[in-house]
Amino acid sequence: MWLTLTHGLIFLNLFKISVQLQNIDTNSFTDIENDYKYDSVESSLRYDDDRVNIGSQGYLKPIKNEVMSDLDNNKRVGLFSMEKPTKYPFKEHLELRPLPKNSLLSSFQFHLSSNEFSIDKSDRSNNQYSHYTVFPRSISPLMDNTNTRQVHLRFTHGIWDHENWGRLPHDGRKSGGSGVELWAVIEASDHNTAFDQWVKLSNMLSGLFCASINFIDSAKTTYPMSSFQPGDGEEIPLFNASNKLYLLRGALANEPVCTENMAPFIKLLPTKGRQGISTLLDGHKIFDSQWHSLSIDVTTVCESNSCHYEMEEFINVAINVPTTLARSVRPIPKPVDGSELRCDNSKHYDAWTCFPLPESIEGKYELSKIFGKYIMGSNSLSGYPTQTCVQVSDNWKALVKVDGSYFSTDNNCFDVKGEDWHDIYLETDDTTQVDPVKASPVYVTRSLTGYSQDKGGLRAVFKNPTSEPVELVYFESLPWYMNLYLSTLKIESKSGLKISDVIQSTYYLPAKDRERPTHLEYRMTIPANSTFALSYQFDKSLLKYAEYPPDANHGFEIESAVVTVISPVKYEFRTATLLLTLSTPDFSMPYNVIILTSTAMGFIFGTLFNMLVKRVVTVQEADKAMTATGLRGRFLVIKEKLVKMFKRPKPKSE
Amino acid sequence: MNSREKQVIFGCLTTRLLVSLLFPSLQQQLDKAVEFSTPVTSFRSLQEGVFLLQNDLPVYNGGVVHHLPLLVALMSVVTKDSLISLLYAGIDAVIAYQLMLMSKQFSAQLKMPNWIPGALYAANPLVLLSCVSRSTVTFTNLAISTALLAALQGNVFLASVSIAVAGYLSFYASFLAIPMLFILKRGRLQSVITIIISLSLYLLASYKINNENWNFLRSTYGVVVTFSRLIPNLGLWWYFFIEMFEFFIPFFKAVFNIFAISFITPFSIRFYKQPFYAFILCLGWVTLTKPYPTLGDGGFFLSFVPFFQPLFVYLRYSIISILLFIHAIVLAPIFYHLWIDLGSGNSNFFYAISLVYALALASVVVDLCWSMLRIEYDNGNPKLDVQLTQL
Repeated sequence: MWLTLTHGLIFLNLFKISVQLQNIDTNSFTDIENDYKYDSVESSLRYDDDRVNIGSQGYLKPIKNEVMSDLDNNKRVGLFSMEKPTKYPFKEHLELRPLPKNSLLSSFQFHLSSNEFSIDKSDRSNNQYSHYTVFPRSISPLMDNTNTRQVHLRFTHGIWDHENWGRLPHDGRKSGGSGVELWAVIEASDHNTAFDQWVKLSNMLSGLFCASINFIDSAKTTYPMSSFQPGDGEEIPLFNASNKLYLLRGALANEPVCTENMAPFIKLLPTKGRQGISTLLDGHKIFDSQWHSLSIDVTTVCESNSCHYEMEEFINVAINVPTTLARSVRPIPKPVDGSELRCDNSKHYDAWTCFPLPESIEGKYELSKIFGKYIMGSNSLSGYPTQTCVQVSDNWKALVKVDGSYFSTDNNCFDVKGEDWHDIYLETDDTTQVDPVKASPVYVTRSLTGYSQDKGGLRAVFKNPTSEPVELVYFESLPWYMNLYLSTLKIESKSGLKISDVIQSTYYLPAKDRERPTHLEYRMTIPANSTFALSYQFDKSLLKYAEYPPDANHGFEIESAVVTVISPVKYEFRTATLLLTLSTPDFSMPYNVIILTSTAMGFIFGTLFNMLVKRVVTVQEADKAMTATGLRGRFLVIKEKLVKMFKRPKPKSE
Repeated sequence: MNSREKQVIFGCLTTRLLVSLLFPSLQQQLDKAVEFSTPVTSFRSLQEGVFLLQNDLPVYNGGVVHHLPLLVALMSVVTKDSLISLLYAGIDAVIAYQLMLMSKQFSAQLKMPNWIPGALYAANPLVLLSCVSRSTVTFTNLAISTALLAALQGNVFLASVSIAVAGYLSFYASFLAIPMLFILKRGRLQSVITIIISLSLYLLASYKINNENWNFLRSTYGVVVTFSRLIPNLGLWWYFFIEMFEFFIPFFKAVFNIFAISFITPFSIRFYKQPFYAFILCLGWVTLTKPYPTLGDGGFFLSFVPFFQPLFVYLRYSIISILLFIHAIVLAPIFYHLWIDLGSGNSNFFYAISLVYALALASVVVDLCWSMLRIEYDNGNPKLDVQLTQL
């Protein structure tokens, strides 16, 4: 039996191996059959709170064997050195890394790839069957319908401590600014079509991920020039040679990232959070962290006429270990019991006084205590076993716990095998000693200056602590209600740097009210061992009454600036978001304003109009004329008649 | 030019240069003050335009520049700070001189020395501060006063070209072409043709300068006419459009624009025997109704009030007008500060002041209009014992 189970490339970033699997002739019938079998297994998998070992049900084994034998029959040419061949193009990997200051960085990495499809539109429409194995069904139509070749979505929240924790995981490629960030490469015939597709894409993603991504409109969309460029050697295919590729980018600063955004993330995985490392993903723990970033990158990879999608889904979390452990002991925050207080006995100490000792530097914890769950067996979909690696220095002990017994390996990487529950145990005598972090090549902080609500300034401080110059692209997209004065750009530097020394080139597209944001990109060189600040001024404009969000006095979130370091290393990071306060009108006033302004205008107009059209006369003449013609005159006549009628003629007095 | 006039001009120049020199930060302070600077007249955005022009960046593709290309091109030539100060002070001195020349034209009627209007202009704090803030209103004012003087002197060509410059620099100043035509005793058709030709020439030159792109029309006249920059100012419009329901906004934009032009022709026709005074009333009306007014505009209009000196006896509520002006000018910065900087007041405070300012200007226009009617009735000889009314 010939089966098509895997096609194309699988991204194996971590091993730096690109794996090309042999393309096997398609037999769609058996393929569907196999899918069906897989589905039946999947649906019969049970996850229950009693933690019954799913492996004991033994559903997975027959299928696995059958698939394996099929693959063996094909006599695949394995291009990678792994014991078992891949069944489905899916791979998962968990990387743990204790960070200084008692934090733990957990990086969940999932790599998926779709079935091959043909570039040719007619071929695709003729092919009635769309096959989705491990690749999520919802993603392909999204890419197809909007002609998107690449989409990158980031949900990030929290503070990454650059000074202590060094560079961001994956050199910042997998994390966005605080809130939601989306960029995509869209194939379109022209600019407007690309934008329409972009709106469509953002609306679809919005529904898929339960986020307000649909609020990314033209006033939030930029077309980056030198930031967000695809990586080296990464080729983006054009399906129609007459089209062009457009890179669009939008961000929603401080969009709350929350469980409802992560549930769809987990659902996209073939393991659905029930097998492998995805079982650890618990919203309570992930979002209770100091910093977390959810990322999805879908790319189209083509070889001649046949293409497939590749998807990388990463979830990076930096968790503060002591607080998380404490919370699992005391879910409701209560004062620590007196007997548990760690007091400094060298100082005065009694029932009422306790000088606390610094935190203990000893540390031992299990992953199940951190995430509240275990790794429930290896994923049974791909030939790559679920792998967990711990990156620690020598003073740490990293063990894997299976069935109550602990194992260790030389490289601290553990393959999760079978259906047994796995747990990772970490122990050290000194938590401050961790595997040395790579320092960030440059630090950039940005802040607002000025106190008034009608104008202000932006100030970005660049610091290069290294001894070689750093080349970077500074990208900023500011909302249209910040009216930027680029001529006010100033540099403050102790070493007397000039603007021309640091800024090589500028791309500037000013904002248009309600249409597009200010788009600013600087290509800069930060000289070695230098610190300087760039600042510029802006005016804040007022919005229309209905354009203010609820709680307008809270302020408006300004998305983070993106710093893309080009040399000496490739690195990417964002500054913090900003909160801009705008002046607000009185929201209870619309009718009053309309009435008062209109009255003033009417009064002025009426007075002048009367003056210009009326005749000038003396008061006496006016009275006379009034008597003759006006209402008052008639009234006088009637009054006179009435008086005559009721007045008896008086007898003439003699 | 007699010695008095020389003194006035010298005084005008020195005060402005001295103030700029003694208080170097005053220019920026005033340029940020809402009373003297609006998005369409501020020196900051003019500098931004110069900066963008010099760096080959798009000047009119959105952004903050709402100044005409020729003005931006002119300012990109004059870059030295002291030269700019001198330019603004010089323009103000020229205006003061022109006012004195105008008063010479009316020396028979005016019972005051000719130099008085010039001196009052030079000493007017509103004009002085507006000049120091380097508001581009100064350029428009120069064009208007040149046109007026040339029209009075019968110089049809200069008058037409200047009023075209005024209209080019500030859209609503183009309305003043109508009362100007009434001042001209001959060559009205010629004047109309000259205005049209010169205005098209300016626009064409702007088009050429702006890389053969018409997009400057939208960021300059478009912004003024549609009032798309909702930034607080002394005008009547801004708060109205912030609070107005979206659905009605286009209608009210039309209403405000019609309102602005409504009294130009009526004034010109009603007072066709006194076209100079009709011109001043129209100037007052434009100052009152234009969407981005500054105190510089108001000060310029008030500088023409001395020409009404023979009518002062007729003014009915001069005290009220003066008090309203003082009220508006003193409280505007305070209320704005309370709202924007301190947050202890709200937008209604400043809105109320903009209403008061409108009423102050209106009371002056109405009062002058009434005294014009009165003097007309009295045939030039004030009979103060007669009580008049209108029917």
